Amino acid sequence: MNVLFTWLDWLWVAAFLLLMIGSGVLFYRLGRRSQSDFFLAGRGLPWWLPASSVYATHTATDTPMWITGIIYRHGLAGIWYTFFSAWAAISAFVSTRIFRRSLAYTQAEWNVVRFTGLGAEMLRGWMAGWQVFMNMFVLGWVGIAMGKVCAFLFGWPLWVGLVSFSSVCAVYVLAAGYWGVVMADFQQGVIAFLVIMIVSIWGIMTAGGPTGIVEKLTILGETDRLNPFAFTGWWTGEFPAAWFVTMMVIAILGGFGMGTSIDWYPEAQRIQSARTVRDASYSIWWGTLVGLVRNSVWAVAILGFFVLFPGMTETAEYEMGWFRLGFDYLPVGMVGFFFAAILAIHLSTISSHLNLGALYATRDLYQHYWNPEASERTLVWVGRWSTLILLLGSFVYGLMMENITEWLIFALWIMTAGIWLPNILQVIWWRFNAWGYLSAWIANLGFSWLVVWILPEFGVIPELLDYQQFWLLMLLGVGVFIPVTLLTKPEPMDHLVKYYVQARPLGWWGPVRREAERRGLIQPDASPRRALSQS
Amino acid sequence: MPLVRRTWTAEEADKWTREDGFAIALSPICYFGLTLGVALCLLLRWEGFAISAVSIALIVWMHWIIDPKMKAISEEYEKNQQGYLRDLEDSVRWKQHEQDAP
Repeated sequence: MNVLFTWLDWLWVAAFLLLMIGSGVLFYRLGRRSQSDFFLAGRGLPWWLPASSVYATHTATDTPMWITGIIYRHGLAGIWYTFFSAWAAISAFVSTRIFRRSLAYTQAEWNVVRFTGLGAEMLRGWMAGWQVFMNMFVLGWVGIAMGKVCAFLFGWPLWVGLVSFSSVCAVYVLAAGYWGVVMADFQQGVIAFLVIMIVSIWGIMTAGGPTGIVEKLTILGETDRLNPFAFTGWWTGEFPAAWFVTMMVIAILGGFGMGTSIDWYPEAQRIQSARTVRDASYSIWWGTLVGLVRNSVWAVAILGFFVLFPGMTETAEYEMGWFRLGFDYLPVGMVGFFFAAILAIHLSTISSHLNLGALYATRDLYQHYWNPEASERTLVWVGRWSTLILLLGSFVYGLMMENITEWLIFALWIMTAGIWLPNILQVIWWRFNAWGYLSAWIANLGFSWLVVWILPEFGVIPELLDYQQFWLLMLLGVGVFIPVTLLTKPEPMDHLVKYYVQARPLGWWGPVRREAERRGLIQPDASPRRALSQS
Repeated sequence: MPLVRRTWTAEEADKWTREDGFAIALSPICYFGLTLGVALCLLLRWEGFAISAVSIALIVWMHWIIDPKMKAISEEYEKNQQGYLRDLEDSVRWKQHEQDAP
């Protein structure tokens, strides 16, 4: 479809782009002051600013496509696919609190706060490189989604939408760094939330309102789509209850760890940019809650889209459903406003990943391994150059994305399945060490290849559903990282005590706590339960 | 002793207590409830309104429980933050081994 824009539509788009670039210019002086300002806004933000950034960053151009796809396929029960972000429920009060107290700029840097020696340095280098790559990949992925939206709307070649809007975004990220990102995210978050509500409710009303949707689904014989727990059986079918239970475990218990979700990495930056531990916790909690509410609104709008267009079989066609609700049904003059909101959604994600990738490149690679004595001015400039390189790299990734998507989804899976448990253990178990964590990463690389591709290909095991792969990979990993941890030395007690006193982690830290108490660094716990356990 | 404590000294707030347990238990329930409740509300189902109302009440209760403790933790930690930041900057410059162990 080619949408015809009036002068009023283009006015919305131009005004919005000026607003975004303007925020970069306004905060230029703050962003250039130091590395801490360029990447963490000086660690001084009240909770609602990083919260809006959490929400805005995780509302990307491809998010409505993905959610539309699963709701169109599975009905309301598909909403639980989006529940993975609920890791923030527990994290806000556990791992967010611990991570904020570590003060590490990045998850890679946290490795050398928690662990020490060669193992910790290897982890830092690996994680920093991986995150630079991952951010470039996400930029390409989200950028090409924008290319597809522009191709759908205006008939532009894919590269035009990819290159043009990411480049506009880079202007304020290069100028003001994280200050520009978070201030623009606030505006973008508000605009995106309002427009998502308007378009979704407009779509619901167009489909006949809530009553009309229920009636039409009944006529179509599709009432199961209204049931949020309509699974295909306990163990059978493509959408079993066992999958739902696995998702709940991954999402909810994952909050005890760090890095149990890919979203942890951008969130870690927002956590450190908050001015206090309390602000950090609330920013993660509220930012995620708004995202979950948004998903629910989207889900019902897509049920409306389904009753309007029930017969679609091509994924590429029905994935554009939510966009069609806006472009097909909004009145003239509002279409440009809708497109401006899509730009808001797009720019907020692009800006966050540009700055985050540059943070890993600057702090963990350039400063730590190349130029430890670099001045603040140099570090800000390295941050800018890194941003530019990430931008250019994302164009290349975006344009070759069709060919490499399968490989990269596999790479994401590697990050989730086999290291989910180690990501928790590193937070809650004092004895878990750098070698155990490193072995988990390496073992997971091999096991993932075997379980996902090689063994099913040779008929050794059947092709497993994704939730089955998760449990199998976790069990196989346990067989490696637990022995490695127990057969290698624990981290030095001096280092652990220093970490414990600063971060106060939850879990099995008894020997370290007692040592800290013996050294007089913290007061002994006089609770009856502790007294009983010590007797 | 009351079920929920709302006044804290810095040392007490630094420990993991029953109040943290309440927040950890209530928080996922609030997320689950609002995700489900809002969707059902938009379909005008009465269960949706009930679940949403209960979830909002739980959110208020959870913050009432945990907020005094979070404030106490934050105030105490801010006092030590500058020292910790100095350590972190030394660490990125490979100077951590020059420091004395605690």
